[in-house]
Amino acid sequence: MNMDGTNWLACTRFISEMESPARIYPLANMKIIKDLVPDLTHVFAQYAAIEPWLQSKTPTPERERRQSVEERSQIDGYYECILCFCCTSGCPSHWWNGNRFLGPAVLLQAWRWLTDSRDEAAEERLDKLEDPFRLYRCHTILNCTRTCPKGLNPGKAIAHIKKTMIERQS
Amino acid sequence: MASSSPSEPQRPLSPNIQLYRPQLTSVLSILNRLTGILLSIAAIALVIWLLAAAAGPQAYAIVQAALVSWTGQVTLFGCTFAFFLHFFGGIRHLVWDTVHGFELRTIYMSGWAVVAASIVMTAVAWIASVYIGR
Repeated sequence: MNMDGTNWLACTRFISEMESPARIYPLANMKIIKDLVPDLTHVFAQYAAIEPWLQSKTPTPERERRQSVEERSQIDGYYECILCFCCTSGCPSHWWNGNRFLGPAVLLQAWRWLTDSRDEAAEERLDKLEDPFRLYRCHTILNCTRTCPKGLNPGKAIAHIKKTMIERQS
Repeated sequence: MASSSPSEPQRPLSPNIQLYRPQLTSVLSILNRLTGILLSIAAIALVIWLLAAAAGPQAYAIVQAALVSWTGQVTLFGCTFAFFLHFFGGIRHLVWDTVHGFELRTIYMSGWAVVAASIVMTAVAWIASVYIGR
């Protein structure tokens, strides 16, 4: 929800923390079903587009796919995302190009799979992201990192993707 | 990927820019773009100034008179500030490209540092130009 001009989880903000009178709006730049209820169909379709599941080419092992402590720590700060879309809704780039730009929430998820040591589809994932709109409409405005109610860092995740994109060209 | 299909109901869009609170992150981002546009126009003015200098004393005198006028000086002052804001903002973006400085505290510190450095350097440039101009 948008409260006093910025996005946050309505269930974790007290009215006493807000201005008086408190100004509440639905999540910014979303199709509205009714009152404060946004239709998240489009952003979830964008989420589906990055294929947010483990993809591997090696045969499925008998036991778990093991990770070292170091490898596991790579997805810290990314796997915690609860898909509230506060960041995507607060991103001016997504306001203007939301039909083609994936937005911070979905790109953070994209990085969550790119940096997972068990996932083996990095090249294909990067191929799909290498697009003037899907990834590169991000201009590092950083409203996303500013607003994330979980304290995560979509801006940093996107910077990681951009850097990986450059590194694989050289 | 587009969500609007003919069968879907037409839904109104909730407000975005008219609702969302301006903050250091978004304000500096749009200023970086606006100063970039302003400096591109200023670059054309610079070329006109050089062309006038090449064309001879008469043409140069006209452009010079415009530049030293009250409005010309205010515009130049604005361009100086725009230059430094764009310059330091650009450095901030280069650092981000290396995936550094993304902690929220750092984002705000570097943002205010860009503003402060731009104000200081604009002042320094103009004080220096006054002294050199004597």
